[in-house]
Amino acid sequence: MSAKKKAWVKSAFSELKSSAEEAVPVKRTRSASLAATAAKNSLRKTNSTICATNNSVVDLSLDGEQQDETDTAGISPIVSDNWIESFAPSCSDDLAVHPKKLEEVRNWLLHCQALRSKYPAQICLITGPAGSGKTATLRVLAQEFGYALQEWINPVDCEEIQTLGDQPTGNSYASSQLEAFKSFLLRASRYKSLLSAQNKRILLVEDFPNILLKDAAATFEELMDEYMNYGKSPLVFIVADSKSRVLNISYKLFTDQLKAKLRIEHISFNAIAATIMQRSMKRFGTLMQQEQHKALYKLPTQNVMDSIVVCAQGDIRNALINLHFGSLKGAPSMATKQLQLNVSAPSKGRKRKATNTLKSIGRDESITMMHALGRVFNPKYAEDNAQRLLHSPEDLAEAFCTEPRNFVNFIHANYLPHFLDISHAMEAVNDLGVADMLLQEYRDDSLGLVGLNIAVRGCMVPNVAPVSGWMPVRGPKRLTIQPQLTAGEQKLLGSSYAGISKSVYASEYSSFVKIIASKNHLDK
Amino acid sequence: MALWVDKYRPRELSKLDYHKDQAENLRNLCKQSDFPHLMFYGPSGAGKKTRIMCLLREMYGVGVERLRNETMSFTTPSNRKIEVMTVSSNYHLEVNPSDAGMYDRTVVIDLIKQVAQTHQIDINGQREFKVIVISEGDELTKDAQHALRRTMEKYIATCRIILSVNSTSRIIPAIRSRCLGIRVAAPSSTEMTSVLQATCKREGLVLPPELAMRVVDKSERNLRRALLMLEASKVQQYPFTAQQEIADLDWQVYLRETANQIVSEQTPAKLEKIRDRLYELLSQGVPPNIIFRGLVEHLVNNCDMSIKAKTLEHATQYEHRMQNGAKHIFHLEAFVAQFMNIYKKFLADLVMTDDF
Repeated sequence: MSAKKKAWVKSAFSELKSSAEEAVPVKRTRSASLAATAAKNSLRKTNSTICATNNSVVDLSLDGEQQDETDTAGISPIVSDNWIESFAPSCSDDLAVHPKKLEEVRNWLLHCQALRSKYPAQICLITGPAGSGKTATLRVLAQEFGYALQEWINPVDCEEIQTLGDQPTGNSYASSQLEAFKSFLLRASRYKSLLSAQNKRILLVEDFPNILLKDAAATFEELMDEYMNYGKSPLVFIVADSKSRVLNISYKLFTDQLKAKLRIEHISFNAIAATIMQRSMKRFGTLMQQEQHKALYKLPTQNVMDSIVVCAQGDIRNALINLHFGSLKGAPSMATKQLQLNVSAPSKGRKRKATNTLKSIGRDESITMMHALGRVFNPKYAEDNAQRLLHSPEDLAEAFCTEPRNFVNFIHANYLPHFLDISHAMEAVNDLGVADMLLQEYRDDSLGLVGLNIAVRGCMVPNVAPVSGWMPVRGPKRLTIQPQLTAGEQKLLGSSYAGISKSVYASEYSSFVKIIASKNHLDK
Repeated sequence: MALWVDKYRPRELSKLDYHKDQAENLRNLCKQSDFPHLMFYGPSGAGKKTRIMCLLREMYGVGVERLRNETMSFTTPSNRKIEVMTVSSNYHLEVNPSDAGMYDRTVVIDLIKQVAQTHQIDINGQREFKVIVISEGDELTKDAQHALRRTMEKYIATCRIILSVNSTSRIIPAIRSRCLGIRVAAPSSTEMTSVLQATCKREGLVLPPELAMRVVDKSERNLRRALLMLEASKVQQYPFTAQQEIADLDWQVYLRETANQIVSEQTPAKLEKIRDRLYELLSQGVPPNIIFRGLVEHLVNNCDMSIKAKTLEHATQYEHRMQNGAKHIFHLEAFVAQFMNIYKKFLADLVMTDDF
């Protein structure tokens, strides 16, 4: 008897559930059940020993916490399981988001309120890099405006189909999730939760149903159309930026056309600036010094705090996690290392501070292609050593080692306007040629990186006097060779055309055939 | 209404205009029941394809001339669909795998398998094998050539392969050794003039001998080009005069103009304009090696004796890189930049010596 069948039987006679459960073990052979019980016993034993050891360890730490709780219970009732929540911003001043962006979201909410009676179903799309405070902003502002947030979470939807007992086909499975999403949108926007006090709701979708991630722009558009007509609450989509095209939801689902049609407000957040981040770090610091956290945390030195900010690269969530980790009591101070090459070029007049970064923890620095192209085309030299490039070509090459061909093509398409002298340009293009040859070599994987390195270096080193100024970046050209024949030309060639290769046709026939065909045309 | 090139193409080995001894040899080859894989090699427009078709007719009879066009589609391992046009009769199939670009390997394997695995239906047919004609064999990638080598041996009972190539140097030795090589040299000037005269006679036209000579000179002993040129000239102006203007290949005109621009100014900005012009030529479908060669010829003609050697030296280097690389434009551009650099230095030196 298969597991599926069992489930089917169970569900069909659900009132007999208890007896059915009892019946199952009887059917087992005796030896099997014996083995099972033996296994259970041994498991229980090991479990209990683990528990015992655990207890002894935990007890020590619990002592402190319990004391804490008893001490602080009177002052603050907030005891959250998730420590990160205790640092969440509670009012809009706490937010680390740029005030302008905050204003944009606020305006949209005001706009929603103004139109509440007539057009309740407003849609907004918030995009931005990870950890830029998209969700936090929405939460804080929703609270301010008195909205309840209703969030969609992808259900685990295998259950429904198994209880139905039919063979699940891929199709019905997919549609059921879409149906569930649809009914969530329409119902949640109309009826309030019994548990919440607020009367107004905002729907939030951060977790996109999987079915929408696969070429489902048309389905999504239909869904949104329907929501516009029947929805009763504002709807917010939050999408984190993604580098890859395939996963880029904001690009795939929210086409410009759709945004224009449904008047979807698109607010795009930026990574959090270092100064604002510093401020919030201070806030976290003061929070940590508060009574209920004092026992757990010991503030790290300013040096470490600064390094955390540099390391996080505008990701506040990451910064907070690092801070939490670095300031736990009993942990040794985090090791930092001096950054040789400053990430942000120092502005004039200000004293250049040595920046540190965390040695072991933190995100890798990632740069966009445009950024990297700028570094390649306007090579800067270190202040103290004129022989040394400020941005090492190795680092730049390494950042694009997954797609060397693409980057080299971009360099080729854009390098010329940055050169003043033909002899320098000649050296650059010479190296690009070498790079092309190396990239073509498929037998050794490492040659791709070498080729990219040569291309990058070849453009940076010879460019002694780069032309500065704003120059638009152009994409590499794509060649599509498709000889277009007119009807007359085709007739002239007859059946033999298929036997002529494209290149021979272009280099030998096309010019003459054009002349001859034009004459024949005149004759008619 | 067909082009003269097709209309007056000799259909039988006995009617060929030149290389008559070779035609006799080919006829002898056909008389035997079996014959090996063949490789016709020679410059463009020398008559390789004509000879191949004559040979097929000699073997299979008139049925070979009943041609049909087919578009065959193939699926590459990466699930990409490619379409290749073929010309075929009951006895042979003509294909141009290089049109599929980097996917030519798939075309070679699939197509040859398809053809080779089916036996001839016609029992009365004199031969028990089909023939696959692969034109532009030297444009095949190394990958495709290796694939071809294996299939050539495996299916030798049911099919023969005739390759038509410009230069044997780009064919891997393994294939060269499996084929009987037949060289088709370009016709001499006198042979070409007589062909042109004969064509005009059959069309009922009068061709002044001077004009015939000029057409032959201009066509660089490429008979196909000469015939097309003559027909285009006839369309432009008839009756012929000895000094009339001869229609020109427009990409050659364009290339000449490009070369002149390179000589006129040597700056990165100009180089960018030249790049656009090269892109234009490439997108027309003119093969990069022909562009490269044309460019070198024009530039060498335009420059001083003292820098010719250096220019040629760099040309060979970049041409080699172009064959190995994937982006032809990189290497074309590199050569142009190199020439600009040399030329600019030369001009600067000239000014210096003038001052003294």
